[in-house]
Amino acid sequence: MPNALEVSHVSKRFRSHRQGAGYSTLKSLFLGKGRRQSAPPESYHQALTDVSLVVPKGEVHGVIGRNGSGKTTLLKLITGIYRPDEGSIRYEGRLASLIELGAGFHPDFTGRENALINGMVLGMTKREILDRMDTIIAYAEIEEFIDEPVRTYSTGMYMRLAFAIAVHVDPDVLLLDEILSVGDEQFARKCAHEIDRFRANGTTILIVSHDLEAVKRYCSHVIHLEGGRVRNEGSAADVVEAYRAQFAE
Amino acid sequence: MGILTTMKTCWRHRALIGALVTRQLNARYRGSILGFLWTFLNPIFLMLIYALVFRVYMRFDMDHYPAFVFAGLLPWIWFTTSMSEGTNSLIANGNLITRAMFPPEILPVVAVIANLMNFVFTIPVLLVVFLISGIPFGWQLAWLPVIVAIQCIFTLALTFLFAALNVPFRDVQHLLTNALTFWFFLCPILYPLERVPDILKPVALGNGMGTLVTSYQNIFVHQQGPGIAALFAMLFGSLLLLVLGDAVFRHYRDTFAEYL
Repeated sequence: MPNALEVSHVSKRFRSHRQGAGYSTLKSLFLGKGRRQSAPPESYHQALTDVSLVVPKGEVHGVIGRNGSGKTTLLKLITGIYRPDEGSIRYEGRLASLIELGAGFHPDFTGRENALINGMVLGMTKREILDRMDTIIAYAEIEEFIDEPVRTYSTGMYMRLAFAIAVHVDPDVLLLDEILSVGDEQFARKCAHEIDRFRANGTTILIVSHDLEAVKRYCSHVIHLEGGRVRNEGSAADVVEAYRAQFAE
Repeated sequence: MGILTTMKTCWRHRALIGALVTRQLNARYRGSILGFLWTFLNPIFLMLIYALVFRVYMRFDMDHYPAFVFAGLLPWIWFTTSMSEGTNSLIANGNLITRAMFPPEILPVVAVIANLMNFVFTIPVLLVVFLISGIPFGWQLAWLPVIVAIQCIFTLALTFLFAALNVPFRDVQHLLTNALTFWFFLCPILYPLERVPDILKPVALGNGMGTLVTSYQNIFVHQQGPGIAALFAMLFGSLLLLVLGDAVFRHYRDTFAEYL
């Protein structure tokens, strides 16, 4: 497979969580047997329709679009958190997905304890994490707090630790959701540095971001999602300019 | 078969299971002064309350009643805590399931193993209670690992089933809380099996936990074998139940993220 990541003709719809739509209680299961199949169309939300994308090995691609356009759903489908209703997704090698920094951190546990579990959740082996623990701690710049519970951390420390774990995963395919724009200037510089390093190592990256300048800087190819469909795609500069022009009207 | 895939997934993530079990054991008493001592104190207090009510107030006449209650209470606590924690485990860890590549099947396993560890840690206390009561230990104690293994399979099976059903149908956890109270009194834990009318014995034993509890009582209190035929039937039933529980879990597995 010449491409590290292939998403072909993927569609996804969600059951609406409105009360009475679908069944969410036992009562509605027994009273409304079979309703799931014959549900009226308005009780579904079509999140993605026929979305395809291809990322060749070692390239950095971006996904832009307004809130609710289906960007995060797309990343969750690639990660395997959701299963597509139609279409297929393939990738090569180890995939790491940063949909939220520090997903699953337990507030009462220390930075070190959380790093171990979070690293394993991201796909590292216990050995790999223990070997890299000192590097992770140094990278996060929280040496003196690493054995304190993370609930005592500032937002910045929390993010630095989570990011430090994530960048030590060494994936073949990396999915990044909005993490370029969460931190301060220094954090943004660190992110930029890491993305360059990943790119130099031949890691394939898919970035979802509202930070259009960052997208232009890192991505060779960009997809613009609107209402769950691909509205535009092409070189980063062209797609970002067209997207901006849309709002300038 | 689906169960083999589940077992493979759990084996591949055994280090993560180990780390989560440690975390769960540590989390339970973190911030409390007596800490891990609560593992021992909780069942002892419970035993003392039952002994007071049934032995002193109700004048229930039976030799070594507190030790008898303790022998059934400990495996029950393992079972009931695994069930309630396991059933809630997917919802409690929703942020892992919806934001990371996280295998949900390991969460019920973590609940059962963490409470198994608690059970194992309380066995020395049980032995002390028996020493104080002057009950001798028989070679039948060698059956303990077998009974524990069967209870493990039985509990895992039900935990898989209820954890999966609880995600789309949140009523399950409330139904389960009530069912567990009822279930507790159906099992011959506070009363010996001999006090159960013959016609109701199938109910006392056939609920699964009843058979296991009497097996523990046999080897600890009566220095008897555990009732090998019943135990064998229990093993067979538990394995069947595990295949069923796993099938239900796999049926709902891919939709967990959408419900959480």
